[in-house]
Amino acid sequence: MRTALAFLIVACLGQRTAQAGRSFYGWLYGTEVMPERGVELQTWIVEQNDKYGSGGRDSSLWWGPLIGITDRLELALPIELEWTRTEGAETTKTSFTFRRFGIEARYRLASADPAEAPAFVPLIRLAAKRDVSVRDDLRLEGDLVASYEVGPVHALLDVGFVSDLQPHRSHNELRPGAGLSIRLASGLRFGGEVYSELAFDSQSQSWAAAGPNLAWTHGRFWFSGAFGIGIYHVKLAPRFMWGIAF
Amino acid sequence: MRTHATIVLATLSVVAAAGVPGTAAAQPAGRVTGTVKVIEPDGKIAESPDVIVYVVGFVEPPTDTVTTVAQKGRKFVPDLVAITVNERVAFPNYDPFLHNVFSQSGTRKFDLGSYPRGDSKDKQFPQSGVVDVYCNIHPEMAATILVLPNRRHSRVDADGRFTLPGVPPGDWTVFAYTRRATKPTSAKVTVKPNTETTIALELVRGAEPAHLNKYGEKYQDGRVYP
Repeated sequence: MRTALAFLIVACLGQRTAQAGRSFYGWLYGTEVMPERGVELQTWIVEQNDKYGSGGRDSSLWWGPLIGITDRLELALPIELEWTRTEGAETTKTSFTFRRFGIEARYRLASADPAEAPAFVPLIRLAAKRDVSVRDDLRLEGDLVASYEVGPVHALLDVGFVSDLQPHRSHNELRPGAGLSIRLASGLRFGGEVYSELAFDSQSQSWAAAGPNLAWTHGRFWFSGAFGIGIYHVKLAPRFMWGIAF
Repeated sequence: MRTHATIVLATLSVVAAAGVPGTAAAQPAGRVTGTVKVIEPDGKIAESPDVIVYVVGFVEPPTDTVTTVAQKGRKFVPDLVAITVNERVAFPNYDPFLHNVFSQSGTRKFDLGSYPRGDSKDKQFPQSGVVDVYCNIHPEMAATILVLPNRRHSRVDADGRFTLPGVPPGDWTVFAYTRRATKPTSAKVTVKPNTETTIALELVRGAEPAHLNKYGEKYQDGRVYP
């Protein structure tokens, strides 16, 4: 009996560190960071369909390398491309633009070592991005992320803000979200999450979505995504991302 | 995975799970001495074998000692160390290029990232068992860390002799471990106060076990090492 118990303990402890990917969520930032001098290429695909009931469709792509500066701090150098379809009364307009580029830092406020890390892990993310088409626009982004892991269950809370600073106007958003991810097998997780973008000004509208998420890791590759179903001012909001480490 | 490591891991786990009493016995300790013979794959007896002998069956607290496993000349030096549960191991890099020390062993997974000459990182080992350590950049580098439940462990000398002093009285199992051993070897001992117990152990060496990189893949040259 004790032998069986010992094997069970060893098996459970072994599985604790077998995590699926660096993010288990679609819309939410994770709390995992790259090891020192690690490099990863990340890609995100984001869709927002029928936002504000206008029938329009937005798709954007985030692509960039991430570099582990220390075992707790990583830098990302993202570029963002955006495709938009706007439904008019008589015509439909589409556009495809190189929207932004910038730099962002993610600092984990706890050891990244799986054996030393506490169950509760906070992370701070800060980003500064330049709008390519509106040269005076500076976008500042930030997130306070906190995760809690117990056994196969991983819960995460992400409170983000976005501030577009222009000479004559500014736009601010709060982007809160929360999610749950459960390990089904080594390298495979499933759960759900809710995400929203809440505008502070009258020129923009807020929206929110919720849906299932999935995360999968295979060697140096990981994938995660959420299929957001609109609950406020959006019809569908899926977001998928993947990364490959070098 | 390596059979020997798995069996040793299971043995150490049983000891930990059983909650065997520590060395608080008031009786004076005894000691275990003996010899370990290592047979190479070609049948010859190994000269100056690198063997660690340890006792299981009781637990002791760790010391403040930080054991060093250096990265030097594309090798881990030494490539076999024994520590007590919750002790630390430092991994200084003395080579003029980057190393990336990692372990995928179930006992203790870690990834130290890449760091240059002069830098050192260390890790604590909170669970008993066998930890195989590799470099993600240089696949020929391999080392083993034995994380043991007590401080009664010793390296055999050039003649294959060992002494384990301070062993509490009782019935224990003494193991001998060397890298590349094909199967574990052990002996039951009964230690009495102020008494020396002598045993003889024999190990058979095989090939270095195959390993993958930190992503569980073949190394960049497409090989599984060694």
